[in-house]
Amino acid sequence: MEANRQILEAELEREIFTHSQTLFTQTAKSRQEQWIENLVKTTLLILTLLIIFPLILIVGFLFYKSLPILSFEFLFSNPIRGMRAGGVWAPFLGTIYLVVVSLLVATPIGVLAAVYLNEYARNNWATRITNLAVVNLAGVPSIVHALFGLGAFVLFARMGRSILAASLTLAIMTLPVIIASTKEALGAVPMAFREACWNVGASRWQTIRQIVLPNSTSGILTGIILQVSRAAGETAPIMFTGAIFFKALDEGNIFAYNIFDQCMALSMHLFTISTQVPDVPEALPYGTAVVLLGAVLLINAVAILFRVYFRSRKKW
Amino acid sequence: MYNITEKIEISGLQVRYGEKQALKGITFSVYEKEIVGIIGPAQSGKTTLLKTLNRTIDFVTNACVSGIVKIDGIDVSKIKNANQLRRKVGMVFPLPVGLPLSIYDNVAFAPRAAGIRRQDQLDELVEKCLKQAALWDEVKDRLGSLGTKLSGGQQQRLTIARALSHQPEILCLDEFSIAIDPVTTMRIEDVLRELRSEMTILLVTNLVQQAHRLADRTAFLCNGDLVEIDDNEIIFSDSPAQKMTYDYVNGNFG
Repeated sequence: MEANRQILEAELEREIFTHSQTLFTQTAKSRQEQWIENLVKTTLLILTLLIIFPLILIVGFLFYKSLPILSFEFLFSNPIRGMRAGGVWAPFLGTIYLVVVSLLVATPIGVLAAVYLNEYARNNWATRITNLAVVNLAGVPSIVHALFGLGAFVLFARMGRSILAASLTLAIMTLPVIIASTKEALGAVPMAFREACWNVGASRWQTIRQIVLPNSTSGILTGIILQVSRAAGETAPIMFTGAIFFKALDEGNIFAYNIFDQCMALSMHLFTISTQVPDVPEALPYGTAVVLLGAVLLINAVAILFRVYFRSRKKW
Repeated sequence: MYNITEKIEISGLQVRYGEKQALKGITFSVYEKEIVGIIGPAQSGKTTLLKTLNRTIDFVTNACVSGIVKIDGIDVSKIKNANQLRRKVGMVFPLPVGLPLSIYDNVAFAPRAAGIRRQDQLDELVEKCLKQAALWDEVKDRLGSLGTKLSGGQQQRLTIARALSHQPEILCLDEFSIAIDPVTTMRIEDVLRELRSEMTILLVTNLVQQAHRLADRTAFLCNGDLVEIDDNEIIFSDSPAQKMTYDYVNGNFG
C-alpha cells in the first residue's frame, strides 16, 4: 500500500517535471514571434534616428559655414556696405518685435476662444462650423494670409506697412493653431473634475479658473511655443505688410523700433542677402540663419522650462 | 418616527435621453431628516433621479426633463441660479474624485466658491467636514498635500467631506461604496447615521442590505418606474406590496 503510493507520487512528480520542461521550450512559432519583435523594434529605432540625423546635419553645417563671422559684434551691429558686411542687429530686433507683438495679440484671443469653444459652447451646428473654420484656417497658405493682411490691416485699417500690421497678420496666421492646441489641452483635463466642481455649486468660470486652466497650462504653452517658431520663420506674411529691405538702427537699443514703423526681419534679411544682393560674403547668410535658429531655440527653451515647471505641478 | 415636513416632492418626473426614456413618470416625497434608500437594477434611472435634484442633468446635452421636482416647496426648474441649488444638495458619486488641489483646498473649494473668504471660518469648516467624513485623524498633519494622492477609500471620504463643505440640507450618495473597502464602507455608514439628525439623505445603492441597514424608507426603481416606496419594515419583510420588490430584495429577480 505504502510502496504503491510512493510509486504513484514519483510518477506524478516526473509527469509534472516533463510538463514544465515542455512549457517553455522554444518552438518554431515562438522563435518567429521573437524575431519579428526584434525586427520591428530595430526598424523603429533606425527610423527615429533618421529624424535626428538631418537636424544635426543642418545645425552642424550652418555653424561650420558661419564660424568665421559669428560673434557678439555680429549680433549687435547693423548691416553695412549695402548688406555686404556688418551684423544682423536691425533684422534680429525686428523679428523679436514681430514675434512678441503677434503673440501678445494671438495668445489671449486664441486661449480665450478655445476656452469658450471647449467649456461653454453647446454642441450645435454653429459650434461645429466654428471648429471647422478653425481647422481650415490653420491650413491656409501663409501667402494668402499675407494678402489678407495687406488688404485688411495695411490698406483698409490704414495702418500702412508697419510692425503692427505685420504682427497682426502673423497673429491671424498663428491663431487657429493656438486655438486648436489649447482646445486639446483643455480637453485633456478629466471631465470628472469639472463635474465634481459643478456638483458643489461652483460656477463654470470658477471651475475653469481654479481647476481647468491651471492643469492645462503645459499643454497650452506647447501650442504657443510651436507658433513662436512659425511666426519667426515666415517670410511671406511680413513681406507685404511691414518688413523692409534696409533700416539703420540704434545699435544695442532694444527700444529702437516704433510699432508704427517698418522693420527688418531675419527671415526677410536672409532672403534678400542670399538672392537680391550680389557679392555677399558666404558666411553672412549662414550667420543670419544661425541667429534666426538661435533666437527660435532660445524662445523655445524658455517656454520649455515653463512647461517643465508647470508639468511638475500637475496633480493627478 | 420621522418629521412630516416634505423636503423633496417629486411628481410625474420624466426624463428622456434622446429616444431613450430613463424615468417614466415618478411621484414620491422625501421628508425632512430621513434616509431614503433607492434600490433597483442597472438602467433603472437611479442616478438620473439624483441628477434632476441638483439640476446637473442640465449638463447632459440630450436630456429632456418634464414633471416637477420641488425642494422646500420651490420648483427647482424655476431657480435662476442653479449654483445656489447645488449648494443646498450635496452629491457623492460612485468613483471618488479628488480635485487636483491640496486636501485643505479640496474641502475649502466650495465654501470659497460660495464667497467665504475669512481664514478662521474656512479652517473651522474644513476641520468640521473632515471630521464628519471620518478622515480628519488620517490627514490632519498633511492638509497641504495633494488630494489626488490619497488612497481610493480616503479620496471617497474626501469627496464626502467636500459634499458636506457647502453645508447642504440634502445629501445624495450614489453607490458611494463601489470603489472602497468594507471597513471604510462601515465607517462611512456610521457617519451617515450621525448625519441623519442634521440633513435629509438619499442613498442610491446596489447593495440591498446597505439600504436595509441605513434607510428609514426604501424606494425600488425598475426600468424607470417607481415600483414601490415604503418603510423598510415593509419593503424588507416577507410581504411588500409588489411581488417584484420581494424578488429583487431576496435576490431572485429576473
